[in-house]
Parts: sequence; C-alpha cells; structure tokens
Amino acid sequence: MFIFEHQAKELMRESGIPVPRGLVATTESRAVEAAGELGEGPWVVKAQVHAGGRAQGYFLNDRHLSGVEFASTALEVGKAARSMLGSTLVTPQTTGQGEKVHSVYIESVVKTPLQLFLAMLVDGDSGQIACLATTKGGEEVETAVQVHPEILIKTLLGSTDAVSEGVTSAMGSQLGLTPLAQESLTCLIAQLHAMFFEKDLSLIEINPLGVKDNGSVIALDARITVDDNALYRQSRLAALGVRTESGSTERIASQNGFNFVRLDGDVGTFSSGAGLAMATVDALTHLGARPANFLDIPPVLEVSRVKQAFLLLLADDRIQSLFVNVFGAGIMRCDTIADGLLLAHLEKPISVPVIMRLAGTNAELAISRLERSGLPIQFVNDLASGAEKIASLQKEPPVSRPRTGWFGRLLGFRTRRHASGKS
Amino acid sequence: MSILLEPSTRIICQGITGKQASFHCERALAGGTNIVGGVRGGKGGSRHLGVPVFNSVREAVDVTDANATIIFVPPANASDAILEAVEAGIGLIVCVTERIPVLDIVRVKERLRASSSILVGPNSPGVAVPGVGTLGIMPQGIFKRGCVGIVSRSSTLTYEAVNQTTRNGLGQSACVGVGADPVVGLSQADCLERFLDDEETKGIVLIGEVGGISEERAAEFLRGRVATKPVVAYIAGQAVPEGRRMGHAGTIIHYGTGTAQSKIAALESAGVTVVSSPVDIGSAMADRLNAPSVGEVRQ
Repeated sequence: MFIFEHQAKELMRESGIPVPRGLVATTESRAVEAAGELGEGPWVVKAQVHAGGRAQGYFLNDRHLSGVEFASTALEVGKAARSMLGSTLVTPQTTGQGEKVHSVYIESVVKTPLQLFLAMLVDGDSGQIACLATTKGGEEVETAVQVHPEILIKTLLGSTDAVSEGVTSAMGSQLGLTPLAQESLTCLIAQLHAMFFEKDLSLIEINPLGVKDNGSVIALDARITVDDNALYRQSRLAALGVRTESGSTERIASQNGFNFVRLDGDVGTFSSGAGLAMATVDALTHLGARPANFLDIPPVLEVSRVKQAFLLLLADDRIQSLFVNVFGAGIMRCDTIADGLLLAHLEKPISVPVIMRLAGTNAELAISRLERSGLPIQFVNDLASGAEKIASLQKEPPVSRPRTGWFGRLLGFRTRRHASGKS
Repeated sequence: MSILLEPSTRIICQGITGKQASFHCERALAGGTNIVGGVRGGKGGSRHLGVPVFNSVREAVDVTDANATIIFVPPANASDAILEAVEAGIGLIVCVTERIPVLDIVRVKERLRASSSILVGPNSPGVAVPGVGTLGIMPQGIFKRGCVGIVSRSSTLTYEAVNQTTRNGLGQSACVGVGADPVVGLSQADCLERFLDDEETKGIVLIGEVGGISEERAAEFLRGRVATKPVVAYIAGQAVPEGRRMGHAGTIIHYGTGTAQSKIAALESAGVTVVSSPVDIGSAMADRLNAPSVGEVRQ
C-alpha cells in the first residue's frame, strides 16, 4: 500500500527523522493561508499522488504544469494549488490515465549543497533488508544509475532489528561524505531501519535527502510503501489506506480482491492466478490480439464475486470478445466460474463472443452447464487454441461487427467444441 | 530417484484440520502420498483423515519420525509454524500459505541459514513427484510420470506446464513451485542444481515472471556448466506494461532490473531456449529432447 508524501513525512517526524515543515491543503485559500503559516518563501507546492516522478510529470489539462512547482509569493502558491487540485497528473510512474490530485503539500523550500538518493527495501535475492544510496539524488537518479551503475552503493543491512554501525559508516565513507555527515547518515539509517520493521514497510525512498553544510541531513521528499500483507497488524497505517490502483474499475476490482489492470486493447481476459493471467495476456499479444485488461481472480471465491468480476469486464464497452482461461485447482473450481458467468449474463446479457478454456477441477461439469445455457460460448482445449480463436476473431472484417447484434453473434457461434474433443 | 520427495519421505501437515488442508491432504492420501500425521494445537490425540493429530511438531516427529511437513497455517501464525518445524529438525518444509508479511519471512530465512532445513515457499503450490506423491495444493490427475523437471514461481503456470508435458507424452520427474512471494526459501537455481543431479530428469522447464532476479540467478548458475540437459524457459508478463502492479508483490520492478527482457537475455546467453508464448513450453521441450546438444560448455 502506498501512502502520500505528507503521511510518510509525518511517520518520519514521529521517528525523529528531520523533515521540512509542511502543511496540507485541499483548497486554494487554505494553500495561501498555509504559505503564511509556514513563514517566509519561497515555497514548494507538491501534488499528493501515489506515484513518483512528479517533477517530470504533467497535468492533463495543462501540460506546462508539473506535480512539483516552486512559488516565491503566497499568491503563486495559491495559483499552483488551484491548478493542481482536482486535475489529473500523469508521471512516468502512473498509468497513462494518470492520477487525480485531491490535496497538495506546501513546504518552505530548503536548499542544501548536496542531495543524496537513499532507499531501503526488502531484497528478494538475499532475503535481507537492502539500503541503496548515491550522491546523484534527484529526479534523474534512475537514468544516472542506468548509465553509471557503479555510483549506486548497495549495502545489506541484515535481517534483524538492529543495524551494525560499521556497515552504515562504511556506506558514508563510500559516498565520500564528511565525518559529520557520515554520523548523521548512520543515525538516519538506524532510525529508518527501526521504522521499517516497526511499521512493516516494504519500501522507504528519500529522494532527495538533503545534506547541509553542517553535516545534518533532511528528508526533502519521502515515499513509503507498506506491506499489504501486514496491514492486519498495522491498523493505523491501514486506516490511511487508499490502494495504489487508480480509476474506478480498478477500485471496484480491488474492493473485491481482484487484481485488475486496464490495458489498451479490446479483448477482455479472465483468469485465476497471476501467472496464468499474465500468460494469457502474453499469448494473446504474441498472436497480435490486444488485451483490454489483465484480470486475476484469487481462488477460494464465492459465485457472487465471480459474477462481479464478469460484470466488471462486461461493463467495458471497448470489449469485442472475451477470453476466459481458468485452470481449476485446489479450491478454485470451474463450475464456480460457469455459475458466475451465468449470473452475470442474467444481469447484463453477454453480447460479445466468449472463448473459454476450462481445465482441471470440475471442468466437464462447468462446460455441460454452460452448453445448456445457449450462451455464445466456444470451448477450447488449451491456451494455444483459445488464443488463436481470439486472434482469428479479430481478423474478421470489422464492418460486419456493428451490424451483428447479439442474436447474430449467437448464430455465428453455434459450433461449440467440447473440452474432451480434439483441437 | 527424484528430487525433494521420495517414497520413504514421511510427511506431516501443520494445520491439518483446516478446510483447505483437509481438502488437499485427503486427495493426496488417496493418491498414495505418505502423510503420517498432522499437527493442530489443542487437537492432539485425535485422528483426522485417518492419521493421528499432535499438539506440536516436536511431538509429531517423536512419534512418526516425520522428515517433511506441509504448512497450511493462516498468515499471522505461518512464520511461527515454519520456525517450529525448523526447531524440530524437519528437513523439508513446504509452506502453501499466501499473504504472509514479508518481514516475517526475512526473519525465518535468517534462522534457516543456521539450520539444514529446506523451505519451499511460502505462497507455493508445493512439490509433486508423479508416482510418489503431492506435497501441497497441486491438482491430482494432471501428472504423468516422466522425464521433465519443472520449476516455477507461479502456481497456475506450473499446472499449465504440467498439462502440456503430460499431453505430449513426456511426463514429469518432479514439479516444484518455489513460491510467488518476493522472499522465498528454495530458489529456482537450487532446483536446477537438483534436477541436473537427478538421473530421472532429462530436461528442465523453468517458468519465471517479471520482477526480482531469481531467473537471472538461475541463468548465472547454468553459465559455465556443461550442458548435460536441455532447459526451456518461459517468462510471464512480457506483454504487461512495466512497473504496474500485477498482484504478486514480486512482480513490481525496482530500478530497471528484473524486466522480461533482462531475464530472457540472461537465460538465452546461458543456452536456455526461451519461448515467447506460454503455449509453446511443452513442444519446445520435446524439440530440445529430440535434438540434444549434450556436452557443450555453456557460455
């Protein structure tokens, strides 16, 4: 789960980590007021979204405005806030649709001679906490690291609750910091590390981390991700929770426990298991078909939620065909999928051709139930023939499509293939 | 011979009285898997699915001499269940539980380093050796005893690979789902090593996905080794836009590494045949087994 910059900074402040003073505003007038309360300018106005790359981003209604704007008068603060609030920000880390800005964070600008990039995350490779740092902090850090990987210093901090001081001071000297700054960094890493375990985080990123002339450090930006799996024991953080998904379809999906990602094509896809769902998207794309979404339904599901998932897909008017690829295993049974589809059809009649690959637990039962329903479904034996079917549907002349109503399509798809037949 | 699971392996199930555990253990027992007992605090002394239930892993080991366990304990208690099995000296620990807080597994791994236990998972479909048994949630009836070793991060794609190699007659020597979480015990490279040492395994299918560097590590392991057995790989998520959240925490791409392209390049440079569509896994394995290039040193 992502939290906003101002929430991340609040957590840091509580842990004794230096951050600039800042105030949240949801209206222009509050933004102007906040600037006054913070004291002398200049100020920085930052759009609060669950994505990084804000300074490189742009607003859909104003391409010249980024998600991080500097202001030298309170009036300019208000103007920036007015332009950002309610608008949609697109950054290299959001989807193309962008993310709507509901609040801005206003801070007094803090200038520091040195700006580091510092991150702490769970390193899957070693199974330990890793700390990444480079002196090339700022928006361009990714490119800088890509071109000169050697500037990134990676240190494993171990798996226990305390960091050894030797490890962090070695980092400080590798970064070429002054002894005073090294001391500040050692202290900061210990604080971050304690917070990481205490709050069940999966990522802390400070970019940039300002280093002042006197060697003290200050977190100028902050990004924190909380481990979704640990929210049950982090109730305070869970309450901050707006999920990462943006867009209303993605929100409905996330409320139902589906993993849904909107893609740009016209083939609806439905799978169970993230791996199989990805493979379904891959197999279609490989044959030139264009998936409209990625959808992974977790197992152990009531029929009503399967229905919800189908309704979610059917509500998308871009969809010209639907590919269902399910391998029933464990608690996920194919008949649940069939019943869910039938219930969805009662609520919103299915008018696009459906290609179904059902295998594993109760596949035969599911297929016979669906065959009796008269729905426009073609059954296939495997992923390969399903993907080919979808691809061939798309190659049909598009002019016939608008004229073919639901009934016409039904006639066109009378020929069904049983899963036990040859493909 | 096979890997991880042998006819002599004596298996217990932690959390055996739960709904999921009962469902899968019942089927595994019917399929001949050697489950000798179960553990459930407070239910010791009773019987479930025809096997004795114990209050603790220690007790179960003392009575049944178990050397493997399958864990179906809810996320909040799962890491304690793994640690309990480690303390009791169980050699093979398979953890099916998904949604375990990642820092719990970070701590578990620290403990595992000082033990001789092997952890498969968490968030793993388990281990299956056709003709010997299934340890986990893999469906019964899709396997065929044969010569292909399958190692995968994704559960559902494991079944897909099993299905394809059963249909084209090759069959499987063993299947291991290493788990879809960002931090897991046994790695894909560890499995490759075991498959290379296993006489029954003639070819290996490796199924990866975007995120993490497990596949790059597997490629690193193969490089420089004599190519005694063909390896076919598929990386899921090639057509999925980079950096989007896809349901497995492990698929989030950090700092430009772990992309499908980087994995495919690493595997191909290690002499692995990487198929671009998941539908070709089985046929590519058959092709490689028919035209083996044995004895060449991998670059």
